Amino acid sequence: MRDLVKMVVVLTVICSASGLVLSYVNEATKEPREYQLLKYVKGPSIKAVLPEGYENDPITDKIVFKMGTDEKGHPVEKTIFPAKKGGKIVALAYDSAAPGYHGNIAVMIGVDLEGKLTGVSIMTHTETPGLGARVEEPQFTQQFAGLTLSEELNLSTRGGRIDGISGATLSSNGVVNAVRQALEQFPKIKEEVL
Amino acid sequence: MGVAKEFTKGLWKEVPPFRLVLGLCPTLAVTTAAENGLGMGLATTFVLVCSNFIVSLLRSIIPSKVRIAAYIVVIASFVVIVELTMQAYFYPLYKVLGIFIPLIVVNCIILGRAEAFASKNGPVLSIADGLGMGLGFTLSLTFLGALRELLGSGTIFKHAVLGPSFEPFAIMLKPPGAFICLGLILATMNLISTRKS
Repeated sequence: MRDLVKMVVVLTVICSASGLVLSYVNEATKEPREYQLLKYVKGPSIKAVLPEGYENDPITDKIVFKMGTDEKGHPVEKTIFPAKKGGKIVALAYDSAAPGYHGNIAVMIGVDLEGKLTGVSIMTHTETPGLGARVEEPQFTQQFAGLTLSEELNLSTRGGRIDGISGATLSSNGVVNAVRQALEQFPKIKEEVL
Repeated sequence: MGVAKEFTKGLWKEVPPFRLVLGLCPTLAVTTAAENGLGMGLATTFVLVCSNFIVSLLRSIIPSKVRIAAYIVVIASFVVIVELTMQAYFYPLYKVLGIFIPLIVVNCIILGRAEAFASKNGPVLSIADGLGMGLGFTLSLTFLGALRELLGSGTIFKHAVLGPSFEPFAIMLKPPGAFICLGLILATMNLISTRKS
Protein backbone atom coordinates (compact mmCIF):
# COMPACT_ATOMS: atom_id res chain seq x y z
CA MET A 1 0.00 0.00 0.00
CA ARG A 2 2.77 2.44 0.94
CA ASP A 3 4.57 1.57 -2.28
CA LEU A 4 1.50 2.38 -4.29
CA VAL A 5 1.08 5.80 -2.66
CA LYS A 6 4.75 6.56 -3.19
CA MET A 7 4.55 5.64 -6.88
CA VAL A 8 1.55 7.88 -7.43
CA VAL A 9 3.04 10.79 -5.50
CA VAL A 10 6.46 10.63 -7.18
CA LEU A 11 5.05 10.39 -10.70
CA THR A 12 2.58 13.19 -10.02
CA VAL A 13 5.32 15.47 -8.70
CA ILE A 14 7.63 14.74 -11.64
CA CYS A 15 4.86 15.35 -14.17
CA SER A 16 3.73 18.60 -12.58
CA ALA A 17 7.30 19.88 -12.36
CA SER A 18 7.76 19.04 -16.03
CA GLY A 19 4.50 20.79 -16.94
CA LEU A 20 5.53 23.88 -15.01
CA VAL A 21 8.94 24.10 -16.69
CA LEU A 22 7.49 23.52 -20.15
CA SER A 23 4.80 26.15 -19.80
CA TYR A 24 7.50 28.61 -18.77
CA VAL A 25 9.70 27.73 -21.77
CA ASN A 26 6.67 27.96 -24.05
CA GLU A 27 5.92 31.48 -22.84
CA ALA A 28 9.55 32.55 -23.04
CA THR A 29 10.04 31.40 -26.64
CA LYS A 30 6.62 32.46 -27.93
CA GLU A 31 7.65 35.74 -29.53
CA PRO A 32 10.84 34.61 -31.26
CA ARG A 33 9.01 31.53 -32.54
CA GLU A 34 6.26 33.62 -34.09
CA TYR A 35 8.86 35.93 -35.59
CA GLN A 36 10.82 33.05 -37.14
CA LEU A 37 7.67 31.50 -38.53
CA LEU A 38 6.72 34.78 -40.22
CA LYS A 39 10.27 35.36 -41.40
CA TYR A 40 10.71 32.02 -43.10
CA VAL A 41 7.14 31.36 -44.22
CA LYS A 42 5.94 34.82 -45.26
CA GLY A 43 9.30 36.61 -45.37
CA PRO A 44 10.28 35.65 -48.93
CA SER A 45 6.85 36.73 -50.23
CA ILE A 46 6.94 40.00 -48.33
CA LYS A 47 10.37 40.76 -49.75
CA ALA A 48 9.20 39.94 -53.25
CA VAL A 49 6.13 42.19 -53.26
CA LEU A 50 7.46 45.34 -51.57
CA PRO A 51 9.24 47.91 -53.75
CA GLU A 52 13.02 47.92 -53.37
CA GLY A 53 14.84 50.40 -51.20
CA TYR A 54 12.99 50.17 -47.88
CA GLU A 55 15.17 50.38 -44.79
CA ASN A 56 13.26 48.59 -42.02
CA ASP A 57 12.41 44.98 -41.22
CA PRO A 58 8.70 44.73 -42.14
CA ILE A 59 8.25 41.69 -39.89
CA THR A 60 9.55 43.38 -36.75
CA ASP A 61 7.43 46.46 -37.48
CA LYS A 62 4.30 44.47 -38.23
CA ILE A 63 1.00 46.08 -37.30
CA VAL A 64 -1.79 43.86 -36.02
CA PHE A 65 -5.36 45.09 -35.59
CA LYS A 66 -8.85 43.65 -35.58
CA MET A 67 -10.86 44.06 -38.74
CA GLY A 68 -14.34 42.68 -39.34
CA THR A 69 -15.64 39.36 -38.04
CA ASP A 70 -15.74 35.78 -39.33
CA GLU A 71 -18.87 33.63 -39.78
CA LYS A 72 -19.04 32.87 -36.06
CA GLY A 73 -18.80 36.52 -35.11
CA HIS A 74 -15.23 36.37 -33.75
CA PRO A 75 -13.07 39.34 -34.64
CA VAL A 76 -10.49 38.65 -37.34
CA GLU A 77 -6.93 39.86 -36.86
CA LYS A 78 -5.23 41.46 -39.82
CA THR A 79 -1.46 41.65 -39.95
CA ILE A 80 0.14 44.38 -42.05
CA PHE A 81 3.85 44.49 -42.91
CA PRO A 82 4.89 48.09 -43.59
CA ALA A 83 7.93 49.11 -45.61
CA LYS A 84 9.52 52.29 -44.30
CA LYS A 85 11.97 54.73 -45.78
CA GLY A 86 13.41 57.46 -43.58
CA GLY A 87 10.93 56.53 -40.82
CA LYS A 88 7.91 56.99 -43.08
CA ILE A 89 5.72 54.21 -44.41
CA VAL A 90 6.06 53.97 -48.19
CA ALA A 91 4.25 50.70 -48.92
CA LEU A 92 2.29 47.96 -47.21
CA ALA A 93 2.28 44.19 -47.63
CA TYR A 94 -0.55 41.96 -46.44
CA ASP A 95 -2.14 38.70 -47.39
CA SER A 96 -5.47 37.63 -48.76
CA ALA A 97 -7.03 34.44 -50.09
CA ALA A 98 -9.70 33.40 -52.56
CA PRO A 99 -10.86 30.05 -53.90
CA GLY A 100 -9.14 28.86 -57.09
CA TYR A 101 -9.93 25.66 -58.94
CA HIS A 102 -9.09 23.48 -55.98
CA GLY A 103 -9.04 25.07 -52.53
CA ASN A 104 -7.92 28.50 -51.46
CA ILE A 105 -5.07 30.39 -53.05
CA ALA A 106 -3.25 32.58 -50.53
CA VAL A 107 -1.49 35.59 -51.96
CA MET A 108 0.71 38.31 -50.48
CA ILE A 109 0.24 41.72 -52.06
CA GLY A 110 2.41 44.79 -51.87
CA VAL A 111 0.72 48.12 -52.35
CA ASP A 112 1.94 51.72 -52.16
CA LEU A 113 0.06 54.51 -50.41
CA GLU A 114 -1.89 55.48 -53.55
CA GLY A 115 -3.34 51.99 -53.76
CA LYS A 116 -1.14 50.92 -56.65
CA LEU A 117 0.13 47.34 -56.58
CA THR A 118 3.90 46.99 -56.21
CA GLY A 119 3.89 43.22 -56.46
CA VAL A 120 1.97 39.99 -55.94
CA SER A 121 3.32 36.68 -54.71
CA ILE A 122 1.52 33.36 -54.27
CA MET A 123 2.16 31.88 -50.82
CA THR A 124 0.16 28.65 -50.65
CA HIS A 125 -2.17 26.90 -53.05
CA THR A 126 -3.35 23.40 -53.91
CA GLU A 127 -3.88 23.89 -57.66
CA THR A 128 -3.14 21.20 -60.24
CA PRO A 129 0.62 20.81 -60.76
CA GLY A 130 1.67 21.86 -64.27
CA LEU A 131 -1.60 23.68 -64.94
CA GLY A 132 -3.14 25.84 -62.21
CA ALA A 133 0.07 25.69 -60.20
CA ARG A 134 1.67 27.84 -62.90
CA VAL A 135 0.04 30.91 -61.32
CA GLU A 136 3.15 30.88 -59.10
CA GLU A 137 5.36 31.74 -62.04
CA PRO A 138 6.73 35.29 -62.24
CA GLN A 139 5.44 35.69 -65.82
CA PHE A 140 1.94 35.59 -64.36
CA THR A 141 2.42 37.45 -61.07
CA GLN A 142 4.53 40.23 -62.59
CA GLN A 143 1.55 41.42 -64.60
CA PHE A 144 -0.10 42.78 -61.45
CA ALA A 145 2.56 45.37 -60.63
CA GLY A 146 1.41 48.92 -61.31
CA LEU A 147 -2.30 48.14 -61.49
CA THR A 148 -4.96 49.69 -59.25
CA LEU A 149 -8.42 48.48 -58.26
CA SER A 150 -10.09 49.20 -61.60
CA GLU A 151 -11.42 47.43 -64.69
CA GLU A 152 -7.82 46.82 -65.73
CA LEU A 153 -7.37 44.43 -62.82
CA ASN A 154 -9.19 41.56 -64.51
CA LEU A 155 -8.38 38.69 -66.83
CA SER A 156 -8.00 39.77 -70.46
CA THR A 157 -11.03 37.64 -71.37
CA ARG A 158 -13.08 39.94 -69.16
CA GLY A 159 -11.61 43.15 -70.49
CA GLY A 160 -8.72 43.44 -68.05
CA ARG A 161 -4.96 43.49 -68.54
CA ILE A 162 -3.99 40.20 -66.92
CA ASP A 163 -3.27 37.34 -69.32
CA GLY A 164 -4.56 34.21 -67.62
CA ILE A 165 -2.77 30.88 -67.84
CA SER A 166 -4.27 28.87 -70.67
CA GLY A 167 -6.16 25.86 -69.39
CA ALA A 168 -6.27 27.30 -65.89
CA THR A 169 -8.85 30.08 -66.03
CA LEU A 170 -10.32 29.28 -62.63
CA SER A 171 -6.90 29.31 -60.94
CA SER A 172 -5.92 32.56 -62.67
CA ASN A 173 -9.23 34.09 -61.71
CA GLY A 174 -8.75 32.93 -58.11
CA VAL A 175 -5.56 34.95 -57.90
CA VAL A 176 -7.24 38.00 -59.46
CA ASN A 177 -10.10 37.70 -56.95
CA ALA A 178 -7.72 37.40 -54.01
CA VAL A 179 -5.83 40.51 -55.17
CA ARG A 180 -9.08 42.43 -55.74
CA GLN A 181 -10.34 41.46 -52.29
CA ALA A 182 -7.09 42.65 -50.75
CA LEU A 183 -7.30 45.98 -52.56
CA GLU A 184 -10.93 46.45 -51.51
CA GLN A 185 -9.70 46.36 -47.92
CA PHE A 186 -7.00 48.90 -48.68
CA PRO A 187 -8.81 52.18 -47.79
CA LYS A 188 -9.77 50.80 -44.39
CA ILE A 189 -6.29 49.41 -43.76
CA LYS A 190 -4.67 52.69 -44.77
CA GLU A 191 -6.88 54.54 -42.32
CA GLU A 192 -5.99 52.06 -39.58
CA VAL A 193 -2.22 52.08 -40.24
CA LEU A 194 -1.53 55.77 -40.81
CA MET B 1 40.29 8.67 -13.26
CA GLY B 2 36.65 7.60 -12.91
CA VAL B 3 35.17 10.68 -14.51
CA ALA B 4 37.66 10.70 -17.37
CA LYS B 5 37.07 7.01 -18.03
CA GLU B 6 33.30 7.43 -18.18
CA PHE B 7 33.75 10.39 -20.49
CA THR B 8 36.16 8.81 -22.97
CA LYS B 9 34.40 5.45 -23.30
CA GLY B 10 31.69 7.15 -25.37
CA LEU B 11 34.24 8.50 -27.80
CA TRP B 12 35.76 5.27 -29.07
CA LYS B 13 35.17 2.05 -27.12
CA GLU B 14 31.39 2.39 -26.88
CA VAL B 15 30.63 5.13 -29.43
CA PRO B 16 26.87 4.66 -29.80
CA PRO B 17 26.02 4.51 -33.53
CA PHE B 18 29.19 2.75 -34.70
CA ARG B 19 30.11 0.44 -31.81
CA LEU B 20 26.83 -0.31 -30.10
CA VAL B 21 24.96 0.33 -33.38
CA LEU B 22 22.33 2.18 -31.32
CA GLY B 23 20.20 5.15 -32.35
CA LEU B 24 20.38 4.34 -36.05
CA CYS B 25 17.10 6.02 -36.98
CA PRO B 26 18.35 9.62 -36.72
CA THR B 27 21.87 8.50 -37.71
CA LEU B 28 20.70 7.31 -41.09
CA ALA B 29 17.90 9.79 -41.67
CA VAL B 30 19.33 13.24 -40.99
CA THR B 31 22.97 12.86 -42.05
CA THR B 32 22.56 14.18 -45.59
CA ALA B 33 24.88 17.07 -44.70
CA ALA B 34 27.50 17.64 -42.00
CA GLU B 35 25.58 20.59 -40.58
CA ASN B 36 22.41 18.53 -40.05
CA GLY B 37 24.38 15.78 -38.35
CA LEU B 38 26.04 18.31 -36.05
CA GLY B 39 22.70 19.95 -35.14
CA MET B 40 21.03 16.63 -34.42
CA GLY B 41 24.03 15.47 -32.40
CA LEU B 42 24.12 18.60 -30.26
CA ALA B 43 20.37 18.45 -29.61
CA THR B 44 20.70 14.83 -28.54
CA THR B 45 23.74 15.62 -26.37
CA PHE B 46 21.84 18.35 -24.54
CA VAL B 47 18.92 16.01 -23.81
CA LEU B 48 21.27 13.19 -22.83
CA VAL B 49 23.33 15.24 -20.37
CA CYS B 50 20.30 16.91 -18.76
CA SER B 51 18.26 13.73 -18.46
CA ASN B 52 21.25 11.78 -17.09
CA PHE B 53 21.76 14.48 -14.47
CA ILE B 54 18.11 14.63 -13.37
CA VAL B 55 17.68 10.85 -13.37
CA SER B 56 20.79 10.34 -11.26
CA LEU B 57 19.61 12.99 -8.79
CA LEU B 58 16.22 11.32 -8.48
CA ARG B 59 17.53 7.74 -8.56
CA SER B 60 16.81 7.02 -4.87
CA ILE B 61 13.37 8.67 -4.95
CA ILE B 62 11.91 7.05 -8.07
CA PRO B 63 10.25 3.71 -7.21
CA SER B 64 11.63 0.98 -9.49
CA LYS B 65 8.17 -0.07 -10.72
CA VAL B 66 7.45 3.29 -12.35
CA ARG B 67 11.03 4.20 -13.25
CA ILE B 68 10.61 3.94 -17.04
CA ALA B 69 7.56 6.23 -16.97
CA ALA B 70 9.45 8.73 -14.81
CA TYR B 71 12.51 8.65 -17.11
CA ILE B 72 10.36 9.19 -20.18
CA VAL B 73 8.68 12.23 -18.61
CA VAL B 74 12.09 13.73 -17.79
CA ILE B 75 13.48 12.98 -21.26
CA ALA B 76 10.35 14.22 -23.06
CA SER B 77 10.44 17.51 -21.15
CA PHE B 78 13.99 18.21 -22.29
CA VAL B 79 13.13 17.24 -25.85
CA VAL B 80 10.27 19.75 -25.90
CA ILE B 81 12.61 22.42 -24.52
CA VAL B 82 15.07 21.66 -27.34
CA GLU B 83 12.30 21.71 -29.91
CA LEU B 84 10.88 25.07 -28.79
CA THR B 85 14.33 26.65 -28.56
CA MET B 86 15.30 25.41 -32.00
CA GLN B 87 12.06 26.71 -33.46
CA ALA B 88 12.70 30.09 -31.89
CA TYR B 89 16.36 30.54 -32.84
CA PHE B 90 17.40 28.00 -35.50
CA TYR B 91 14.31 27.75 -37.70
CA PRO B 92 16.00 26.48 -40.92
CA LEU B 93 17.70 23.65 -39.00
CA TYR B 94 14.42 22.89 -37.24
CA LYS B 95 12.73 22.57 -40.65
CA VAL B 96 15.40 20.16 -41.92
CA LEU B 97 15.44 17.91 -38.85
CA GLY B 98 11.64 17.99 -38.69
CA ILE B 99 10.07 14.93 -37.09
CA PHE B 100 13.45 13.64 -35.83
CA ILE B 101 13.56 16.27 -33.07
CA PRO B 102 10.46 14.99 -31.24
CA LEU B 103 11.69 11.47 -31.96
CA ILE B 104 14.73 12.07 -29.71
CA VAL B 105 12.31 10.99 -26.94
CA VAL B 106 12.44 7.41 -28.18
CA ASN B 107 16.16 7.44 -29.02
CA CYS B 108 17.34 4.26 -27.31
CA ILE B 109 20.71 5.80 -26.42
CA ILE B 110 19.06 8.25 -24.05
CA LEU B 111 16.72 5.83 -22.29
CA GLY B 112 19.53 3.29 -22.37
CA ARG B 113 21.99 5.60 -20.56
CA ALA B 114 19.33 6.64 -18.03
CA GLU B 115 18.49 3.02 -17.24
CA ALA B 116 21.95 1.47 -17.48
CA PHE B 117 24.10 4.25 -16.06
CA ALA B 118 22.43 7.29 -14.49
CA SER B 119 20.07 5.22 -12.31
CA LYS B 120 23.07 3.53 -10.67
CA ASN B 121 25.67 6.33 -10.46
CA GLY B 122 26.07 9.80 -8.98
CA PRO B 123 25.38 13.08 -10.80
CA VAL B 124 29.00 13.91 -11.71
CA LEU B 125 29.71 10.52 -13.24
CA SER B 126 26.36 10.62 -15.03
CA ILE B 127 27.08 14.00 -16.58
CA ALA B 128 30.49 12.73 -17.73
CA ASP B 129 28.84 9.65 -19.20
CA GLY B 130 26.19 11.75 -20.94
CA LEU B 131 28.74 14.21 -22.31
CA GLY B 132 30.99 11.42 -23.60
CA MET B 133 28.17 9.46 -25.21
CA GLY B 134 26.60 12.62 -26.61
CA LEU B 135 29.88 13.86 -28.03
CA GLY B 136 30.55 10.42 -29.52
CA PHE B 137 27.11 10.51 -31.10
CA THR B 138 27.63 14.07 -32.38
CA LEU B 139 31.04 13.27 -33.86
CA SER B 140 29.68 10.12 -35.50
CA LEU B 141 26.74 11.96 -37.05
CA THR B 142 28.90 14.87 -38.19
CA PHE B 143 31.46 12.51 -39.70
CA LEU B 144 28.83 10.44 -41.47
CA GLY B 145 27.11 13.64 -42.60
CA ALA B 146 30.38 15.12 -43.89
CA LEU B 147 31.21 11.92 -45.77
CA ARG B 148 27.77 11.81 -47.43
CA GLU B 149 27.83 15.53 -48.18
CA LEU B 150 31.30 15.24 -49.70
CA LEU B 151 30.38 12.32 -51.95
CA GLY B 152 26.79 13.37 -52.60
CA SER B 153 27.21 17.07 -53.29
CA GLY B 154 30.98 17.71 -53.26
CA THR B 155 30.84 20.10 -50.30
CA ILE B 156 31.57 20.02 -46.55
CA PHE B 157 29.60 22.37 -44.29
CA LYS B 158 28.35 23.94 -47.55
CA HIS B 159 31.90 24.89 -48.64
CA ALA B 160 32.79 23.53 -52.05
CA VAL B 161 35.73 21.18 -51.65
CA LEU B 162 35.90 18.98 -54.69
CA GLY B 163 35.73 21.53 -57.46
CA PRO B 164 33.36 21.72 -60.45
CA SER B 165 34.80 18.71 -62.31
CA PHE B 166 33.51 16.37 -59.58
CA GLU B 167 30.30 14.54 -60.50
CA PRO B 168 28.31 14.04 -57.25
CA PHE B 169 26.97 10.58 -56.35
CA ALA B 170 23.29 11.41 -55.91
CA ILE B 171 22.74 8.04 -54.23
CA MET B 172 24.82 9.13 -51.22
CA LEU B 173 22.11 11.64 -50.26
CA LYS B 174 19.43 8.93 -50.42
CA PRO B 175 18.81 6.24 -47.76
CA PRO B 176 20.94 3.53 -49.50
CA GLY B 177 23.90 5.91 -49.42
CA ALA B 178 23.50 6.19 -45.65
CA PHE B 179 23.73 2.41 -45.29
CA ILE B 180 26.73 2.16 -47.63
CA CYS B 181 28.65 4.87 -45.72
CA LEU B 182 27.69 3.39 -42.35
CA GLY B 183 28.88 -0.04 -43.48
CA LEU B 184 32.21 1.34 -44.68
CA ILE B 185 32.76 3.20 -41.40
CA LEU B 186 31.88 0.11 -39.30
CA ALA B 187 34.27 -2.01 -41.36
CA THR B 188 37.10 0.51 -40.98
CA MET B 189 36.57 0.79 -37.23
CA ASN B 190 36.55 -3.01 -36.84
CA LEU B 191 39.72 -3.27 -38.91
CA ILE B 192 41.51 -0.72 -36.73
CA SER B 193 40.36 -2.51 -33.56
CA THR B 194 41.54 -5.95 -34.72
CA ARG B 195 44.92 -4.53 -35.76
CA LYS B 196 45.28 -3.00 -32.30
CA SER B 197 44.58 -6.22 -30.42
